[in-house]
Amino acid sequence: MTSTKKFLVAALFGVLLASLSLYTVSETQFALITQFGRPVRTVTQAGLHGKWFFQTTQLFDKRLRIYNPAPSEFLTRDKKNLVIENYVAWRIEDPNRFVQTVGDVPSAEMRLHDIIWSGLSASFGNEDLDALVSTDRDKLQSTSILDSITATSDRAALEQYGLSIVDVRIKRLNLPEQNKQNVFARMRAERGRIAMQYRAEGEEQALAIRANADRQKEGILSTAYKEAETIRGKGDAEATRIYGEAYSKNPQFYKLTRTLESYKKILDDKTTIILSSDSDLLKILTKGQAAAK
Amino acid sequence: MSILISPSVPDITPADPPLPSKGRRYRRILWYVFAAWLISGIYIVQTDQQALVTQWGRVVEPRVFPGIHYALPWPIDTVYKLKVRELRRRVIGGDIPDTVLGRTQAATSEFFSGDQNLLNIRVVVQYSVSNPRDFLFQAQDADRIVALAVESELVRRVAHTTVDDILTTQKLAIQGDVLRAAQTIIDGYRTGALLSSINIESVSPPPETAEAFRSVAGARSDAFRIVNEADGYANDLLPRARGEADQLIDQAHSYSDGKINRAAGDASRFAAVAAEYNKVPQVTSTRVYLEAMEAILPKLKKLIVDVNSNLDLSMIGRQENSAPAATPDGASQR
Repeated sequence: MTSTKKFLVAALFGVLLASLSLYTVSETQFALITQFGRPVRTVTQAGLHGKWFFQTTQLFDKRLRIYNPAPSEFLTRDKKNLVIENYVAWRIEDPNRFVQTVGDVPSAEMRLHDIIWSGLSASFGNEDLDALVSTDRDKLQSTSILDSITATSDRAALEQYGLSIVDVRIKRLNLPEQNKQNVFARMRAERGRIAMQYRAEGEEQALAIRANADRQKEGILSTAYKEAETIRGKGDAEATRIYGEAYSKNPQFYKLTRTLESYKKILDDKTTIILSSDSDLLKILTKGQAAAK
Repeated sequence: MSILISPSVPDITPADPPLPSKGRRYRRILWYVFAAWLISGIYIVQTDQQALVTQWGRVVEPRVFPGIHYALPWPIDTVYKLKVRELRRRVIGGDIPDTVLGRTQAATSEFFSGDQNLLNIRVVVQYSVSNPRDFLFQAQDADRIVALAVESELVRRVAHTTVDDILTTQKLAIQGDVLRAAQTIIDGYRTGALLSSINIESVSPPPETAEAFRSVAGARSDAFRIVNEADGYANDLLPRARGEADQLIDQAHSYSDGKINRAAGDASRFAAVAAEYNKVPQVTSTRVYLEAMEAILPKLKKLIVDVNSNLDLSMIGRQENSAPAATPDGASQR
């Protein structure tokens, strides 16, 4: 045997030994070391590790997985049907338990479904529809329901199957197909009511605007009337004062001229007047010159 | 991972009976191959990328920035390159239009609103990678998880909002709330994604109720019209009323001014005449009296009666049917 040959044989043997006793674990994996079928330890740390050549490694994906089955129908406490699509975020936590109780991912998902969906239907059955769908935030319970389901099912799944349930959430909330027509009918009725309300509110507003305008108009006009009459009154008063002042200086003459002026208006061509021949006007006519004295 | 192969091994194994010269040649080739293997560890990270290096599966370099770098060659080190700044896009609640499949209308999904209405909503999510290590290794499908987190938050948010708010005023608020809440969930999953925007692309009522929703819009515009008409009425009425008011006041002023001016005129005329009267009251009064009689008496029917005669005059009054049988000042004195 040449030295080269010796070297080659040694290298070959070394490689064989290394391949049997060294293994790598990536960041996304767990390794389970078994010895003649019996699990001896779990490796969670990524990197290059060693083992005995008679031990075998089994690798598991420890990343977060999503289980998102088809929607299921739930019945709430107030007897409303809901179609809810949930998703579960989960991962393998304890590979030892996982491999002993479940083995592979599809059967793990079946177990998850059993644990979680029974919890979901129990919880939703204990709540009214308001707890999931409501405009009143105080009534909404969906977050706390799902949080408590996550917590309890996580405990159960870890204990029984070595699985960790990170989150259970509602992906879609809907109604069964057969109920939708009723909802559509209700929505249409609701829209009709809202449309009527809009129209009525419009009318109401319009009437208020018109009435207000009418009232303002009346206010403006009556105020103006008041002011106008006050002005007229002042004018009249001033005129009266002027007359009074002027006439009071010579009341006798005023009485004479004013009375004569009244006669001109009072007496017209239909009036018959009986004059005494003794009157001041006719005295001169009947009695002659002497009466003028 | 069972066999650890260095690239030299397959070259060596078939070499069975080597001549000394042949062995040297093999050995030289072997060194070349080894050198080439070492050089293969050089890698380049492009400007829009970040890289992550694992050694035997374990992360040794969580963030390698753009430039030329060296990592130990395969199978020891593995280099993952990731476009971290690139915005990744997900559509939630239906797919975007697909002309290849002949679908021009984008599909939407039904959401259940707080007042128990169904709505079709489609949302576009954009996110980037904030932590390459978490993004690559924490979840099997980080992209899908981001979409699910956003979708579940959207369902929850819509489930406590009224249909009218979703259709009108609350759209922006919903986008913001869902973004924040979904980011919290994503951080809880440690998926290393950072949401940059959530955009509600379309919200529409189901086709079965579309007509009813349109009629509401019609009613709303009707209401606006009615109110506008009333405003128009008011805008027409009030200026007119103000004009009318001004007119009333102006009329009153003109009345008042006229009254006062006339009074002043009358007064000054009277004062002037009265001043003359005072000088010769007897003559003036006689003259004024007689002038007035001249003006009045010609129009009248007159009956002159002697003071001493005794006549029954009642008949005349009846025949003539003259209403106010008045007598001038002088005549009344019997």
